[in-house]
Amino acid sequence: MRPSDYPPPWRPEEAITTPSESEPVEVDVLVVGAGPAGLAAAIRLGQVAPELSVAVVEKGKRPGAHLLSGAVLRPGPLRELVGEDVPSYGEVPGEGVYFLTESRSLRIPTPPTMRNHGNVVVSLSELGRWLAEKAEAGGAMLLPETDAQRLLVEDGRVIGVRTGDKGRGRGGEELGRFEPGSELRARVTILCEGTGGHLTGAALAHFGLAGASPQVWALGVKEVWRVPRPLRRVIHTMGWPLRAGARYREFGGSFIYPMGDELVSIGLVVGLDYRDVDLSVHDLLQELKTHPLVLGLLEGGDRVAWGAKTIPEGGFVALPRAFHAPGLLLCGDGVGLVNVPALKGIHYAVESGRLAAEAAARGELDGYDSALRESFVWNDLRAVRNMRQGFAGGFWRGSISAGLATVTRGRVPSADRPTERDADQDLIRTGRASSYPPPDGRLTFDKLSSVYLSGNRTRDDQPNHIRVQTDVPRALAEMWARMCPAQVYEVEPVEPGEGGRSEGEGARRPEMDGEAVGAEGEPGWGTEGEPGGSDGERVKLVVTASNCVQCGAITAKGGRLTPPEGGSGPEYSLT
Amino acid sequence: MKLLVFLEHHEGAVTKAALGVLAKARALGEAAGVVAGADVRGAAESVGGPVYLADDERLAAPLPGPRVDVLAKLVRDEGFDAVLFAQSVLAADVAAGLAARLGAGLNWDLADLVEQDGALVGKRPALADSVWVDAGWSSPVALALFRSGAFDPAAAEGGSEVREVAVELEPHSLLAELVEAASDEGEGGPSIEDADVIVAGGRGLGSPDNFALVEELASALGGAVAATRAVVDAGWYPYATQVGQTGKTVSPKLYVAVGISGAIQHKVGMQGSGLIVAINKDPHAPIFEYADLGVVGDLHEIVPRLTELVRSRQ
Repeated sequence: MRPSDYPPPWRPEEAITTPSESEPVEVDVLVVGAGPAGLAAAIRLGQVAPELSVAVVEKGKRPGAHLLSGAVLRPGPLRELVGEDVPSYGEVPGEGVYFLTESRSLRIPTPPTMRNHGNVVVSLSELGRWLAEKAEAGGAMLLPETDAQRLLVEDGRVIGVRTGDKGRGRGGEELGRFEPGSELRARVTILCEGTGGHLTGAALAHFGLAGASPQVWALGVKEVWRVPRPLRRVIHTMGWPLRAGARYREFGGSFIYPMGDELVSIGLVVGLDYRDVDLSVHDLLQELKTHPLVLGLLEGGDRVAWGAKTIPEGGFVALPRAFHAPGLLLCGDGVGLVNVPALKGIHYAVESGRLAAEAAARGELDGYDSALRESFVWNDLRAVRNMRQGFAGGFWRGSISAGLATVTRGRVPSADRPTERDADQDLIRTGRASSYPPPDGRLTFDKLSSVYLSGNRTRDDQPNHIRVQTDVPRALAEMWARMCPAQVYEVEPVEPGEGGRSEGEGARRPEMDGEAVGAEGEPGWGTEGEPGGSDGERVKLVVTASNCVQCGAITAKGGRLTPPEGGSGPEYSLT
Repeated sequence: MKLLVFLEHHEGAVTKAALGVLAKARALGEAAGVVAGADVRGAAESVGGPVYLADDERLAAPLPGPRVDVLAKLVRDEGFDAVLFAQSVLAADVAAGLAARLGAGLNWDLADLVEQDGALVGKRPALADSVWVDAGWSSPVALALFRSGAFDPAAAEGGSEVREVAVELEPHSLLAELVEAASDEGEGGPSIEDADVIVAGGRGLGSPDNFALVEELASALGGAVAATRAVVDAGWYPYATQVGQTGKTVSPKLYVAVGISGAIQHKVGMQGSGLIVAINKDPHAPIFEYADLGVVGDLHEIVPRLTELVRSRQ
């Protein structure tokens, strides 16, 4: 059984429309997304073309509200852009890479791609707020709480976006506070939507720009802790709680960064090509915190922030064929400008935003493609183009091929290795969830209290923005329920249980009822550890869309995230 | 310290939340209330203590503009140091308008107010209620909006000393008119924000039909029925009864949680309740961490018997 056997009821063309308003709002350049790419573009436009009117739409409550990263930043490109130092928690003081087993940690040499000398630790959310002030000071108009819902296309040319309606009820009906969306028209539209960009994906399909290999993603869940003792180095871990075997496809690792003396950022990132129905990145992060190495850093501290986000990991081979279309430029994470072995992408987002702004200011959009291909972004991504794919063969084979690629600067292997879609991976079941630690409210936490800490207070009575099939085999429904860090998906209990403790409780499988695994002709359904008798049984998926923190994992794994009403979702401030 | 409290009223009675704020104001200094509306002398007389009464046909509709005029004039004429509001849609509008009119600072979402070295300091929970933020004012007049249920209302002491005020309205304050008033509150029984007793049902009820158990217990106790997000989402009960982070905040004297696990999203909507009683068959349900009285067992057995016992003692 594969998630892609149950595609979402959604087509890219639903995100494309034609202009219809007689009095639209008009600007010269429209930027979609107030992240590092979009704000760099807005800042650069203010520098090189102050006569142009620039608007930046942002779906979050305010700039930074939907920004989340590790984050260790290579500060050069941003410093150069703004002409001053960027707000940070200081230079990386030292670093250590560890291979973990369940109870031990082995320090290993830092792989060359992961060296961080001269880089700084930042909160991307804080950085976004600061950049937004710079962009506004430079003349850009920021429009928060505004979701770009559809791309306006006329005669083969992008002429802006249509923003989403506000104040619709569960069934789409207009409530008392209904406000229709509006058309924002522009000579140039720059999409900087970030990971799994809604309009970016639709534009790649509409203009036939998709690259040779499909995009793949990882899911990262992170927390910020106030700690009693300062951490004096950045730490990366590999190994436990992920499994090395090739059949699991569990590629990832953790990061632990000091944010000054009082705060520590800790997160776990796992490739979404994983196969285990039970895999939950949130719960694996909780498990990681029980490791002696990590526990020693956090003990006596308090969790002060939580959030989740996907990361595009396809790299060079999954980049689009072109980064522009008539009236349109594409930047940053939306098109996958991320260097997976180096764990970096913010400075690529900044650079692509800067180059897009310069092309927009000149009015020569095709110049953006050549500028991007001549930039350091291209060289960096090309050199590591095959590393991520090597880990499809498990941790050890991946490490060897990554080592070879590093010493030969990407010349071995010589041919591009294609990626495989995350949603095309067959599901397996191994009983992995049995070792997740129960939430104790001090070190380990459940999903709902984490969603609360994200600041999410989304209006419940708005239309569901998640496109996903809801009558699906039990194994798929359970995979989504485990995958989602925000408890958006639950399997409707067969016998409704008391108390609604669904996470780990309500989603319990009924006794084997004799129905065979392949009863519905499901191919490739493997089972381990547990009898899989009811995995093919159809169940109802319950979707609590207001919990959603818009991480984008569902888009990778068989559904589709679309933007909810502007202002919805998390309100990150420290992530 | 002279404090004025905006007394919002519905159907002739001042709201419980506003009376709570008035009790707080009395503890801090020389406090007076203000009732603005049409034919609302009865409401003003029921409060006790000094109450300004702005009784005028043009104040009949619950619109903010004319009320800003009334309050601004009172603050200027009587020299109030602070104007306090209990959170509501109308109060938020009036407070914002008054802040603009007077050039006064407004702190909102406050859960307490204290006097420190002669100055008012508001207390606001932040970061998921894990820390308290002190919020002060730099303007001569301090405006404060309080969270629903922040304070207990005091019983009326003697009659009100009603002071009628002349209603003088700015032309621009009359530009808005009420076109239509609609209510989506459930029929009968007290609204959950004003009820002294609330019986709330969660997903543990198992099916919408079982809400009858909750309704019968609420009826026996003379209370209102509330619901969790999960059951409202599932369409078992109306949105107007939803208690929690994205629903209503309530603070009854007695809150009976039936089949509710008690995630933090629910807790923040009812943690100000006097006595919290939880009935749930899962002993690990988070609600037992903050319930005053917890009953672990099958609600289908316990609730009907509880209803019967309550009825037999009446």
